[in-house]
Amino acid sequence: MRVIIHDLDGKYEEMLASRCDKVLKADGKYAACQGCFGCWTKHPAECFMTDRLQQVCRLIGQTDELVIVTKNLYGEYSANVKNVLDRSIGTSTPFSNYRGGQMHHTLRYGKHDLWKVFVYGDITEQEKETFRYLAERNAINDGFERSQVVFLADLSELEEQL
Amino acid sequence: MKTVFINCSPKKRFCASAYFLFLQKMFVGGEKVSEQLRTPADHERILEQVTDAKSVVFCLPLYVDGIPSHVLRFMEKMEAYCRENSLQLNVYCIANNGFIEGKQNEPLMQIFENFCSRAGLFWGGGVGIGGGVMLNVTRIMFFVEIALLVLNTVLSAVNTGNFFPKDAWISFGENAALLLFFNLGVLFYLACMGSHISKGTHSGKKYTRILIPSFIFILFADIFFIIISFFEGGLFRSWLAKKEYTES
Repeated sequence: MRVIIHDLDGKYEEMLASRCDKVLKADGKYAACQGCFGCWTKHPAECFMTDRLQQVCRLIGQTDELVIVTKNLYGEYSANVKNVLDRSIGTSTPFSNYRGGQMHHTLRYGKHDLWKVFVYGDITEQEKETFRYLAERNAINDGFERSQVVFLADLSELEEQL
Repeated sequence: MKTVFINCSPKKRFCASAYFLFLQKMFVGGEKVSEQLRTPADHERILEQVTDAKSVVFCLPLYVDGIPSHVLRFMEKMEAYCRENSLQLNVYCIANNGFIEGKQNEPLMQIFENFCSRAGLFWGGGVGIGGGVMLNVTRIMFFVEIALLVLNTVLSAVNTGNFFPKDAWISFGENAALLLFFNLGVLFYLACMGSHISKGTHSGKKYTRILIPSFIFILFADIFFIIISFFEGGLFRSWLAKKEYTES
C-alpha cells in the first residue's frame, strides 16, 4: 500500500489521490501528541483523542511505501506533518530491540519498503543535510528498508517526481 | 543576566524535562525564569519573557527523531518575533529520549542549530540524554528512599528509643549513592553547560545517558511497560496485535 501525507492546499488533492491508495492531508485540524504512551499501554494502536488521527498509526503501519510532502522547517517536517508523525508511534510496540546498532521499539506491523520525503520551500545546505539524516533515522525507527529525500526547487516539479 | 528555562514537555506532571531543568538551574547563575510550553496559549507569555533575556534553555523530549509539533509551532513564532525585534539571545537545548543512547537526539540538535541560524540567534549547544524516562524514575525513587528512612527512624524511635537506626541509614546511603551514580553523566554535562550558559559561551553538543548497561536497561524498560500495560488494561486489549485501520 502507498500512502501520501502532505501539507499542500486543496488544488493538489486530486493529483495526489491518483498516485496512491490513501491520502492524508496534514491540515493541523487535530490535537498534538500528549506523550501519554496510551497507544502502547492502554488502548494499543489507537490514540485516546478522538479526532482524525486516532488510528493514524494503523494506516502508517500498513504501508509499503510512505510518501511525505512537506514544507521545510529548519530541516524538519512542517508542524502540521510532524503532528501526524508524532501521533503515529503506535506503529511500534512498547517492547525494545536493536536495529542499526541502536535501541528501538519492536515493530507492530513488521518491515516496510520506502520512506520517501518531498521537501519544498526555502532550504539551506545545512538543512538539507539535517533532512537526509532525519529521514534516515525515521526509516530505521519505523522499520523502513530505505529512505529517500527529494528537494523540490518548485512545487510544479512534484507531479513529475511523484 | 536573565535566563528563561522552557519546559516543552506536553505532560502536566512528573515529566523528565522538569527534572533535567531542575538540575540545570542549579548550575546557572543570575535571574532565572521558568516557563512551560504546552499549548499556543503559552506563546505570547513566553515571548514576552525572552524579550529582555540573555539566554533561553529549551528542555524537551525527542518525538519521532525530532522536535514535537507543538514546539515547532512555537519556534516558527519565535523566529519571526526575534527577527522583528532584533533579539540577540543565546539558545541552549536539553533533549531527552526514552532509548538509552543520548546520541539519538542528534537530529533534534541540528534542527535547533538551523533554527538559530534562521532567527539570527546564537546557538549555544546542548545536552542529549538517553534513558530520560528512567532517569526521571530515579528522582522518584530518591524520594521513596527518604520516606523509607523517615519511616524506619520513627519505628526505631518508638520501639527502641533509638533515633539513629544505623542499618536504615546505611541502606539509605547505599541506595542514594546508586541513584546518584546513574545520574552522574547527566550531572556532569549539565554542570558544564551551566557554566557556559552563565558566561554566554558555546558549550557544543554533548551526549550522555543513564549509567547502566543497555541490556539491563532494555530488560527494565520491557518490565516497566508490561506492568504499566497490565494496570492500564492494554495487556488485555490485543496488546501486540496488527490492528486494521478503519476509516473514520
